[in-house]
Amino acid sequence: MADRIDEDAPPIELRGVSKRFPTSGGGSLVVLDDVSLTMPRGQTTAVIGPSGTGKSVLLKHIVGLLRPDAGEVRVFGVDMARASEAMVYKVRRRIGMLFQDGALFDSLSTGDNIAFPLDRHRPELSARQKRERVEQVLEMVELPGLYDRPTAALSGGQRKRVGLARAIVTEPEVVLFDEPNSGLDPMTSDAIDQLIVTMKEKLHVTFVVISHDIVGTLNVADRICMLYGGKVVASGTTAEVTHSDHPMVRRFLGRNVVLPEPGAPGVATLPRIG
Amino acid sequence: MSWLATIGRFAGFCFDLARANALRRPPPGRTMEEAYRIGVQSLPVLLLISVFVGTNLSLQGYAAFTPLGGQRLVGMFVALAGVRELAPIIAATMVAAKAGTEMASQIAVMRTREQVDALEVMAINPLWWLVTPRFLAIVLVMPALTVVAIFTTIASSWLVATAQLGLNGTEFLDFVRTSIDAKDLVACELKGMLFGVVICLVSCFCGFTSTKGPEGVGQATNSAVVIASVSCVTLNFLLSQVLYG
Repeated sequence: MADRIDEDAPPIELRGVSKRFPTSGGGSLVVLDDVSLTMPRGQTTAVIGPSGTGKSVLLKHIVGLLRPDAGEVRVFGVDMARASEAMVYKVRRRIGMLFQDGALFDSLSTGDNIAFPLDRHRPELSARQKRERVEQVLEMVELPGLYDRPTAALSGGQRKRVGLARAIVTEPEVVLFDEPNSGLDPMTSDAIDQLIVTMKEKLHVTFVVISHDIVGTLNVADRICMLYGGKVVASGTTAEVTHSDHPMVRRFLGRNVVLPEPGAPGVATLPRIG
Repeated sequence: MSWLATIGRFAGFCFDLARANALRRPPPGRTMEEAYRIGVQSLPVLLLISVFVGTNLSLQGYAAFTPLGGQRLVGMFVALAGVRELAPIIAATMVAAKAGTEMASQIAVMRTREQVDALEVMAINPLWWLVTPRFLAIVLVMPALTVVAIFTTIASSWLVATAQLGLNGTEFLDFVRTSIDAKDLVACELKGMLFGVVICLVSCFCGFTSTKGPEGVGQATNSAVVIASVSCVTLNFLLSQVLYG
């Protein structure tokens, strides 16, 4: 049933997803190779791996911006590649996404950027209710009073927070984070990680975090999936993956990370080293 | 064969745009905003170019007809060349240069900064949100700009004909009036509207299909103005063939 939302289905499920892109030399580059993955409801799944291993491509498949060459991507039970456009949009209304640079609209103020999805999808709200909601999420991302600030005047960390505020303003059931720490200094990066943890506690929604920041990932994730060469090389709870014997996992995690004990709670607080 | 593939992609783009707007109202409030922007942006340069096209039409017409003793025909020359052909094409090229390049570069930058993807993820069709208001705005504004180009061209050529060349102003205007009729003005408006459609579709297509990064934005902007201008000039020839050929 590609064209019906199944409330009992896992929020995100990938089955045998493969994707290749043509290269300038006439060949093709395999970016995802038979990837199967289930992201459980209410948990934070981090997809990690070195640059160029298909993490962002995987995220674009989840929101239906890319279609797999083989396999299927199901979000709330809906096959995103085969469903009608109307159904894909219906599913997307249940998803919020934080883009790498925030993807804020330059012509709008900070508050209007956050209110943008409300204006489109919540016509029943009055202007005052929308403003209150926007100010509420601005406080949640620790940027109170910035409603009227132009987006050009925001720092990199603030843009991410505003992007996060826009992602959660419609109270989605799934929030996707594309490299939330990229381009940020360690302190701002830690603050964003802490914000994700706080959001998770407050919102109780399904988070998917794409990252190559190991410490940040271990701080926020319940489950980890590691991609390498387009394949899933490790998948499980944070403790299971951090204790994996797979050589790529060991190499990627490095020697300086303090690993949680197997069976320990998913959210680990780890010191930033170096 | 790549141009064939590009034509195919352009046809697909137009089809997707039509589908995105099927049985749906345009984004509220954005059409007038865009119309104002396109009109106001293009007006100063359009006025300037139209003034000098008009002056030169008078000078060239006078130089061509005087040896034949037909300097009184300058008004007719201005009407036929200026109103029927030059005014719509001047309006089109100026709008392509100003508004068309802005459409292409804005959308290309939005693609580079993932803002187009963000619209998709927020369940808003980017073609509906970004192209539809621009399309409606340009269709509204182009006929008005064409009228401005017509009257500015005639006014400036009349001024040169009377003040510099010493021709009879009333006679000049009589020749203008008798050389063109309502059908010519309707044809001009139609041309302007069609040129607007071409400029908008080509410019937005170039923006949407641009490669990411500064180079892609530059290429999209460049392609938009070149393809839109060439398309408008070619379309002008075809329309003139149909209307006057």
